[in-house]
Amino acid sequence: MSVLALCLAGPLQAWGSSARFARRTTENVPTKSGVLGMLAAAQGRDRAADVSDLAELRFGVRVDQRGTRIRDFQTAHHTETGNAMPVSERFYLADAVFVAGVEGDGDLIAALHRAVRSPVYLPYLGRRSCPPSRPVDIGAFDGTDAVLEDVFRSVEWQAAEHHRRRRSGERRVALPVFMDAAEGDREKNSRRDLPVSFDPRHRRYALRDVKADTVEVPNPTHRAPAAPSHHDPMPPLGGD
Amino acid sequence: MYLTRFRVNTARVGARKLLSSPQSLHAAVMGGFPGILPSAGGSPRVLWRLDRNARAEVLLYVVSPDKPDLTHLVEDAGWPTLPEVGWETRDYMPFLDRLAVGDVWGFRLTANPVHSVRVEGKEDKEKHDTKPTPHVTPRHQMRWLLQREERSGFQVVRKAAEQERLPDGDDCELVVWGAQRLRFRKTGSAERAGGRGASDVRLTTVTFDGRLQVTDPAKLRHTLTAGLGRAKAYGCGLMTLAPVASAGATQRRSA
Repeated sequence: MSVLALCLAGPLQAWGSSARFARRTTENVPTKSGVLGMLAAAQGRDRAADVSDLAELRFGVRVDQRGTRIRDFQTAHHTETGNAMPVSERFYLADAVFVAGVEGDGDLIAALHRAVRSPVYLPYLGRRSCPPSRPVDIGAFDGTDAVLEDVFRSVEWQAAEHHRRRRSGERRVALPVFMDAAEGDREKNSRRDLPVSFDPRHRRYALRDVKADTVEVPNPTHRAPAAPSHHDPMPPLGGD
Repeated sequence: MYLTRFRVNTARVGARKLLSSPQSLHAAVMGGFPGILPSAGGSPRVLWRLDRNARAEVLLYVVSPDKPDLTHLVEDAGWPTLPEVGWETRDYMPFLDRLAVGDVWGFRLTANPVHSVRVEGKEDKEKHDTKPTPHVTPRHQMRWLLQREERSGFQVVRKAAEQERLPDGDDCELVVWGAQRLRFRKTGSAERAGGRGASDVRLTTVTFDGRLQVTDPAKLRHTLTAGLGRAKAYGCGLMTLAPVASAGATQRRSA
C-alpha cells in the first residue's frame, strides 16, 4: 500500500457535499469527492470518465487549522451581456489548512503523485475561485505498510505561523482526523460524497461512512511558558 | 529609606485574607508605621509589592522612609514562634547612593499600566471627559513602561538583533507576566456612594521582569523610592533591582 499526502491550504476553500442551486454550502473538512475530483483533473480525466478506481482509495483528512466559515451574498452580473446572474449565497472556509491523504495500490498512487506534480488541469480547493496558496503536493509514502494513520502522525503540522504561535504552550498538538470507516467501526457518520460519476449532466454520489479520531503531532514552535525568574533585591544592600 | 522583606505564611487564614484583598494588605502594611498619618503628603511614601514566586513562597517587599514594625503581620500571617522567619529590614540609602550611570541590574516591577481614553460626558454631550483605561495586551503594557524609562532614569537593555525571535516588539530584555484583573469594593465607601457599583475599584496589574541600565541615578533613585505609575496603594509601582549574571533573565527563561 502507498499513501499520497496533499496540503490543502488557501485563503478560501469550499467543500460542499449537499450544496444545491443558489445556496452553496461547505462542510468543515474537505470532501472525498472534492479531493478525488482534483486528482482526476490533475490526471486530465474527462468529466464523464470512469472514477471507480479513485473511489476505491481509502481517504482521510487531518485538520491542521480549522479556519472560519464565512458567507458571501453574491449578486454577480454577466461580464458581456450585463444580465444579472441568479442571486446566490456562498459559504467558504477562510484561512483553513488541511492535510488530505489517499491510500491504495502503489502504481495508482505513483501515477497520481506524478499527475499532482504536473497537473493537466490546475488544482483548486473545492470551488474554482479558491486556488491553493501553497504547493498541494506533500509527497507519496511507499512501503508495504504505509497506512494513512501513520502518515497523518508523521507529516509535520502545516498550520500557519501565526496559528502555531497561538498554541506555542502545547508540546504536542492533537489534530482531528476524519477517515473512511472500516467495516467494524461503530461510531461513524455518513456523508454523501463518494463520487460515482462527475458527468455534469448527471452527477452522482454515494454515501460514505466517516469515522472521527485525533492524532498527536509535535509542535515545532513549542516554548515553555514564561515563569517568574529568580529575583532577590536583598544581597546588594549588605547586612544590617 | 528602608527596604523590608516579609515572607507570608500562605497556609494561614490571616494570610489568605490579606492576599485576597489589596486593600486590607495595604492597611496591614500601613499599620507597621505608627509615625505616618494617613493624610500625610510629600514625595517619599510607603510602597509595597507582593512577589508570588511559588505557592509557598510569597514575599512582601516594602520600601519606606521609616523602619517598619511588622509584628502584627507576623502574628496574623507569619510564623510567630520562629525566631528566624520574621521580616528583615535593610538600609536602602547606601545602595541608592552607589547607583551610577551605566550600571546594569535585573529589575522587577509590578504596575498598573493605563492610558487615558476620551469618553463622552454624561450631562453635556459637547463636553468630553477622559478615563484611565488599562492596557490589556503585553505589547501595549511593554510600551507603557518603555515610554517612561527616560524620565524614570533607566533604559531597558536592548537585545542584539540575532536574539530577536519575533518580527516586532521583541527588541528589549523585558517580559511581562502575571496579569491580574482585580475588582473590589472600598470598605466604607459603599455607604457614602449609596451602595452603588460606582465605588468599585478595578485594576489590571502586571509584573515586568528584565534588565535595565542606569541612565540618571537621581531620577532612578526617585523612581525606586516614590514608585512608578498608578495604584500605589494597591501594591503597584514598587521597582526593585537585583544583580544578574551577564546573560539576562529573559534569555534564561526562553532557553
